[in-house]
Amino acid sequence: MIEKLRHSGTLLGFAAIIIFFALRLPDTFLTARNLINISQQLSMLTVVAATMTIVMVMNDFDLSVGSMASLAGIVAAVLFSMGYPVWVGILAALAVGLLGGFFNGFLVSVVGILPFVATLGTLTIFSGMAFLASGGKTIYGRDIPAGFSGFARAGIPLDSIGFSGLKLPYLSITAICVVALVWFVLEHTTFGRRLYAIGGNMEAAHLAGIRVKKLRLLAFGLTGIGAAAAGLMYASRVASANPTQGSGLMLDAIAAVFLGMTMSQQGEPRVLFTLIGVLMLGVLDNGLTQIKVDSYVREILVGVIVILAVAIATISKRKS
Amino acid sequence: MNKFQFYFAAAIAFCATSIQAETVTVITPYLAQPGTQMYVEGFEKEAKAKGWDVNVVDTAGDVAAAISRIEDATTQKVDAIVINVDPAQVAAGLQTAHDANIPVVGMDAGSDPLLAANVTSNGYAMAAETAVYVANRIEGKGKVVMFVFDAFPPVQVRGVIADAVFGNFPDIEVLDRITPDVSDGGIADSRAKMEAILAANPEPGSIAAVWAAWDQPALGALQAIEDAGRGGEGIVIVGMDANPQARAAIASGGNFEASMAQDFQAIGSTTADVVGRLIAGKKIRAKVIYVPTKLITSANATE
Repeated sequence: MIEKLRHSGTLLGFAAIIIFFALRLPDTFLTARNLINISQQLSMLTVVAATMTIVMVMNDFDLSVGSMASLAGIVAAVLFSMGYPVWVGILAALAVGLLGGFFNGFLVSVVGILPFVATLGTLTIFSGMAFLASGGKTIYGRDIPAGFSGFARAGIPLDSIGFSGLKLPYLSITAICVVALVWFVLEHTTFGRRLYAIGGNMEAAHLAGIRVKKLRLLAFGLTGIGAAAAGLMYASRVASANPTQGSGLMLDAIAAVFLGMTMSQQGEPRVLFTLIGVLMLGVLDNGLTQIKVDSYVREILVGVIVILAVAIATISKRKS
Repeated sequence: MNKFQFYFAAAIAFCATSIQAETVTVITPYLAQPGTQMYVEGFEKEAKAKGWDVNVVDTAGDVAAAISRIEDATTQKVDAIVINVDPAQVAAGLQTAHDANIPVVGMDAGSDPLLAANVTSNGYAMAAETAVYVANRIEGKGKVVMFVFDAFPPVQVRGVIADAVFGNFPDIEVLDRITPDVSDGGIADSRAKMEAILAANPEPGSIAAVWAAWDQPALGALQAIEDAGRGGEGIVIVGMDANPQARAAIASGGNFEASMAQDFQAIGSTTADVVGRLIAGKKIRAKVIYVPTKLITSANATE
């Protein structure tokens, strides 16, 4: 019973939050438009959190995702302002993400620095590079091509399935695709299973012949590319790039993975549970704004809920 | 009634509370800034007098979250939305509100076709006034250090005007045009930059004035000049916005001589007036509405 409660406690909490908002906001909360809005608002966090799950599966961390997101947005925007086409900017930004991720992986797995320290260092490096590349300025206006910013405002029309005037935003679709991809990689490939083995016991994984260094390097690379993708989505959504704009993503992404971990069998990260964690954070933001809760109280509430969920899971785990 | 029934009844009553008053959501990522707080205070005061239900949302620097909150307010079908953020960056949210016929008014936000109006101070006029003050005080000759911030459009226009004014005086030379790092609030980095300039120009009288596009760099420059022991050289410093720290410095009669006071409270209350007219179905013809500003010197700094 306690075991079941431990796994489903967070889920029940999520359901309770939804029921509360549905009762409190009967006309606006559970509407297709609002749910689509939430999916779009959460798309960037979803991508960062999903790819953060990859390194957290190995009990690693990446604190640099926020500044990598900012840097990727800046790289693309600087290239746009120099007249390069959209695809060049996007590819270059993703390449920077991959390289930055590999660099994190190199520091953690080859050099052997603790992920917390290594990625704290690269957080500052990436942030400094974003400031350097942009000259500290926000790049906006004519420098951002309409084809790039238009992506965040467009989507697939849903008129044919009865939702007239609504569209499924491309940002949401991108996030869903990334989650599906991470889910497939982690749950259905040897690569994913090996990452879980490393997370379970790195030494044993190594002795079992798993190439721990290489896999960690790759995993960090994937997290880096995810952060860069989220940075591009963010830049597209705000039609501008600012050297600090992604910094809020990191803590929320880690919080979402932790929330997700309270729902899994052994307390290990699972990407679909991470998604529920992200949804919880997003639904709270959306619902509390709609019932006009002070934005500072909202921040406190989100923190309290994260701590509460993890605390309940920890205590019930100890009891079981 | 047992406890459960009591809570259930209370919950139903809570849910059933209907809102009669006009609801207006104010969204900004910059509520930590003193100026923004004053706009919001001015707005809330006027809104209270009108009996509105106001919800102020601070996204703590996150511009994408500002878009999200505009979308939420649109879903909530508020009567109007007020923003204090660059409209170009939140265009995705503005489009959603526009499609739902919810008017959005900028409170010193910048102009945008998707805004019903923007209420602000005339940055061009303000910059002209302080630049001309400097030019007159140094009698049209000498080296001037400028602190600018071209990344933020409302501050960028100030720099353009000051460039034009100084450019019109053949004997005024702009020694440097500095963009300080504002992540620490702007004072510390401006001070460091000014210290470097003072070190590079050690001759007394080699710097005639410092023109800053807002008060923080002016305060940083003042600290640098005083600490370098060069307060007696008669370097004229001017800032803009006349924040309390700047007013105190101006009142003390030192190098920091003048600043421009924007009437932040009036920007807030005028925004509320504009919102009121829009809610009443009136059309706003002039999309940019200017609120008067005032030159602050030691004569009126303590007023």
